[in-house]
Amino acid sequence: MTGGRIFTIALIVTSVIGAIGIFVGGWWIVFLIGLAVGIVLPARAALILGALFGLATYLEPLLRDHLIYGLGPTATSLAAIMGYPHQPAIPIVLTCALGLLLGLAGAWLGSAGRAFFQPASSR
Amino acid sequence: MRLANFAAAIVFSVAILYVSFVGAGPLPALGPAFNPGTGAWTMAFDASIGRETQHLTGLQQPVRITLDRDGTAHIVAQTDHDLFLAVGYVHARFRLFQMDLLRRQGEGRLSEVVGKKALDSDRFELQLGLLRTAEQEWNGRPGPSERARMAILAYTQGVNDRIAQAEFLHQLPAMFTLLGYQPKPWTPIDSLIVKGDMTQTLNFTDTPLVMALLERSLGPDLVSKWFPVLPPNPQSPYDPGPYPARPTVAALPAPQISGAEAVAAADAYQRLASRPAGLVATGGASNNWAVAGTRSASGGALLAGDPHLHLTLPAIWYQLTMDSPSYHVAGVSIPGTPVVLIGHNQHIAWSLTDAQNQQTFYYSEVEDAAHPGQYSWNGSWRRYDTASYDIPVRGGPTERLTVKLSVHGPVITERGQTTTVWWAGNIPSQDLDVLLGVDQASDWQQFRDTLRGWYSPTHNFVYSDDKGNIGMISAGYYPHVKSGRPWLPMPGTGEDDVDGTIPYDDIPQVYNPPEGIIWSANQRQVTADYPWYIGTASNFFDPGYRANEIHRVLSQGGKLSAADMMALQTDTRDYLASEMVPILLTVMPASPARDLLAGWDYRMETGSAAATIWWAFWQTYIAQAFDPWWKAKTVPVDRSEMNDSLGQYLESQVMAGSTVCPPEGCSPSAICPTEECSRFPLNVALDKAIRSTLDTLAKSLGADPKTWTWGRVHQRTLQNLAKITGLDYGPRPDRGDANTPLAAPDFPSSHGPSWRMVVDWGSGTFMGIYPGGQSENPASQWYTDRVDTWWDGRYAPMLTADQAASAPGATSWKLQP
Repeated sequence: MTGGRIFTIALIVTSVIGAIGIFVGGWWIVFLIGLAVGIVLPARAALILGALFGLATYLEPLLRDHLIYGLGPTATSLAAIMGYPHQPAIPIVLTCALGLLLGLAGAWLGSAGRAFFQPASSR
Repeated sequence: MRLANFAAAIVFSVAILYVSFVGAGPLPALGPAFNPGTGAWTMAFDASIGRETQHLTGLQQPVRITLDRDGTAHIVAQTDHDLFLAVGYVHARFRLFQMDLLRRQGEGRLSEVVGKKALDSDRFELQLGLLRTAEQEWNGRPGPSERARMAILAYTQGVNDRIAQAEFLHQLPAMFTLLGYQPKPWTPIDSLIVKGDMTQTLNFTDTPLVMALLERSLGPDLVSKWFPVLPPNPQSPYDPGPYPARPTVAALPAPQISGAEAVAAADAYQRLASRPAGLVATGGASNNWAVAGTRSASGGALLAGDPHLHLTLPAIWYQLTMDSPSYHVAGVSIPGTPVVLIGHNQHIAWSLTDAQNQQTFYYSEVEDAAHPGQYSWNGSWRRYDTASYDIPVRGGPTERLTVKLSVHGPVITERGQTTTVWWAGNIPSQDLDVLLGVDQASDWQQFRDTLRGWYSPTHNFVYSDDKGNIGMISAGYYPHVKSGRPWLPMPGTGEDDVDGTIPYDDIPQVYNPPEGIIWSANQRQVTADYPWYIGTASNFFDPGYRANEIHRVLSQGGKLSAADMMALQTDTRDYLASEMVPILLTVMPASPARDLLAGWDYRMETGSAAATIWWAFWQTYIAQAFDPWWKAKTVPVDRSEMNDSLGQYLESQVMAGSTVCPPEGCSPSAICPTEECSRFPLNVALDKAIRSTLDTLAKSLGADPKTWTWGRVHQRTLQNLAKITGLDYGPRPDRGDANTPLAAPDFPSSHGPSWRMVVDWGSGTFMGIYPGGQSENPASQWYTDRVDTWWDGRYAPMLTADQAASAPGATSWKLQP
C-alpha cells in the first residue's frame, strides 16, 4: 500500500474510534488516539493525522445533526449563551478547534515523547 | 532540542487538557460542554419532537400524551397515580433546568453551581426558612393528606424517571452541561419548595421595615397622611359589605420607633433591597373578573384572569390538560408542582390575583446582657433555637450558616436591635392538597370549602361555573395581631403576637352579586367599614387604578362577550390619567403638548405622544412634590419605591382641588397636610412639574411633541431565567403602563400578564395564552413561539385531549410501564 492510502485508512479508523468515544461521553479519547498516533507514526505524518482526525471526529457529528435537525438554532443559542448573540459560527469554530487541538496535542506529545525517550542508537 | 520539543508538547497538551477538563475564566470545561456527541449540542436533538414510546419505572398502566402544535401537553392516564407521574415526566422533559433553579433558589443551594455571587441569596433563603417549612410539611404531623402524598410521590417518580433517562442518553438540558453539574434526584420536598418560592415572591414583604424608616425620618404626622392604613383615593372594592360585626378594639398608644429599631430596620431593609428581584414582594399586579350568565351575551358565565408576574423565558407556566378517573382539568401549572393552578375543569373555571393582605410582621426582641442568647417573651426568658446549614460554594470553601429562631421566626438582623420576622409562608400548610381539591371541585360550595385550607399567598380566587354562577373569595391566612401597629416592627414581648386568623366566613368574599360582576386587581377588597385589619394601603395593596378601570368597563351595561373580556385584558386605558389630565389641562399653558393631552383618549399606546407627556408629568410631579421632603428629612428609603403611595396621596389632593390655587392665591392650610408642609406647597410643585416635563422631553426626544411617542420610551423585555441576555426576547416597544389593565410597569418592563385566560361557559369558549413557549431549550421552536400571539393580544384555544389528538401538527407519545 502507498503511504497516502495508509494515511487515509488511518484517518478513517481513528475518526471512527474517536466518534464512538465521543458518543459515550469520552471526548478525551481524541487526545489518547492522538497520543498513540504520535508514538507510532513519523512526526510529520502524526501531527497532520492528529489534527485532521481530531477535526473530523468533532465535525462529523455536527454535520450529521445538521442534516437531521438543522444546527442553526442550536448554534445561535450557544453563541448567545457564550455572549455572542447572532454569531452562530463561534461555537461551531470553537467545537471544531477543540477537536483539532486535542488530536494535535496528543499527536505532538506522543511524537515528542517518543523522540525524547527513544535511545539515540535506534533513531 | 528534543527536550525543548518535549517540554513544549507537554505545556501545550496540559493547556489544552486544562481548559477541556476544568475551563478557564468564564469558560466552562470545554471538553464535556462542546463534545458534539453528548455536550451542549444535544439541544438540537432535544428540540426535535416526534412520536415516541417510553418505558417509565413506576407507571401502572399505559399513558397517552398528545403534544399539540404549540407544545401544550394533553395527558390521558388510566389511574390518578399515573397522571401525576406523567405530569412529572413531561415537566422534567421540557423544564428540568428551570425546576432545578427553582428548588435551588428556595433551598439556598445556588452557590453550589454558580459560586459565591449567589451566597447572599442562599444565606437569606436559609435564614427565612422555606426549606425548614417544606421539611415540616412533608415530615411533620399531620403531614400531607393521602391525596397530596400520592400525587407528590408519583410526580417525583416521573421527574426522576426523566432525569435517569436523560443521564443515560446524554440528553440533559444544555445548561447542566455548560455549568458542569448533574441534577440531583427530585424529592417531594423540592415540590413544596417550588410552591414556597411562589409564596415568597408574592407575599414576603419588607414594608414594616420601610414604614419604620419613614416614620423615624419623616415623623408620624406626615407618615399617617402620606402612607395611611386606609386608601386616600377612591377605590372599587369587590366586597362592599355588609360585614359581620365584631367588638372594636381600642388602639393602644404605640411607642415611637427607637434609634436601635431604626438601625435594625435600615440594616434589614438594605439587605433585602440588595437581593435579586423577585425574592421580596414589591406590590402586586394581576387582574381577574367574572360576569354572571345574566349579563353575558351567550347566557353562560364569563371568567377572565391574567396573573401578572415577572416575565421570563422559559415562563413560570407550563400549559397542560390532565385526564384520569378523578381529574379532568386544563390550564397552567408551575413546573415542579403536580397541579393546575389556574384553569378549568368540566364544571368550573378559576383564576387568581394576589390578595395583598399583610402576611409579614417584624418583631423587636427584648434582650439583655444578663441573659445572653435569650429573649424575653410573655414575662420569661427563652433561649433562641438554632438551625445550622452547610452552603457548598462552587470554587470556594463550604460556608457554615447558623440561623437563630425566636417564637416569632428567624432573626433577620442583630444590628442595633435583634429583629425577627413572622411570615405566614413559614406556617406548614396543606396548600398543594387544596389545589388538588380545586382541580376536582364541581360547584361553588366545593370550591369554597376546599379553599378553607389555603394559607399562603392569600389570593383572590375568582370563580365561574357551567350553571351561570360567579363568585370570588380572597382565601388565605389573615393573621390577627393582638394589639399594636402591625405595619411597623412590634415589640417581641408577647403582647403584639399573632394570635389567630380572621374567621373564614368573615374574609372578603361574594357569590352571585346582584350586579352580576366581580373584579379584582390587587386592590383592597373591602371598604373602610370592614372591621378587621388586613394591611396598609400604602404598600400591600395596589393603588386601585386597574380595578377602577375594570369596574368602569364592566359596569357600563349591556351584554358582555368573550371578545369583550379579551379586549379588556389588553386595554391600555390609564384610569389615573383619566382623572388627572382634565384637571391638569385647567392649569397648563397653551402649547402643542397641551393640545395632544386635550385630544387624548387616555390609552397608553405605543404611538401616543400624549401618553409619554402624561407619564413623564406624573412622575415629575411626584418628584417635585416629595423630593424636597426626602432631602430635608434625609429619608433613607428610595423615594421612587414609594411612588404608588405618594401618587395616591397626590391624586386625592388634586381631586380635592388642593393643588390648584384660586386667583386670589393659595391658603397654605388648603394645600398642606400640616403647617410644616407649607415649606413645599403642592401648587408650586405642579407648576414646576409642568415646565420641567416639557423641557426634559424636548431635550431627550426632540422639539416636536408629536414625535414623543410612548413606544420610544417604553419597551418590554422577556428575560431569560438564567439571566443570559442573548436569550432574552426584546426589548421591544410596547403599550401599557403600571396602571393599565394590560400592565407594563418599569422601563423596560419585564413584568406583566404572565397568562391570559378567558372562559365563556355559554359558548364553550376556552382561550389562553402566555408569553414564551413550552420548552426551556432556546433551540426549540417552543421557546418563544407563543410570544407574538400574546404580544398582539390574540389567544389560542385551550383544546381537550381529544381535540388536540385530531388537530393538525399534533404529536403523540406513549408512556409504558
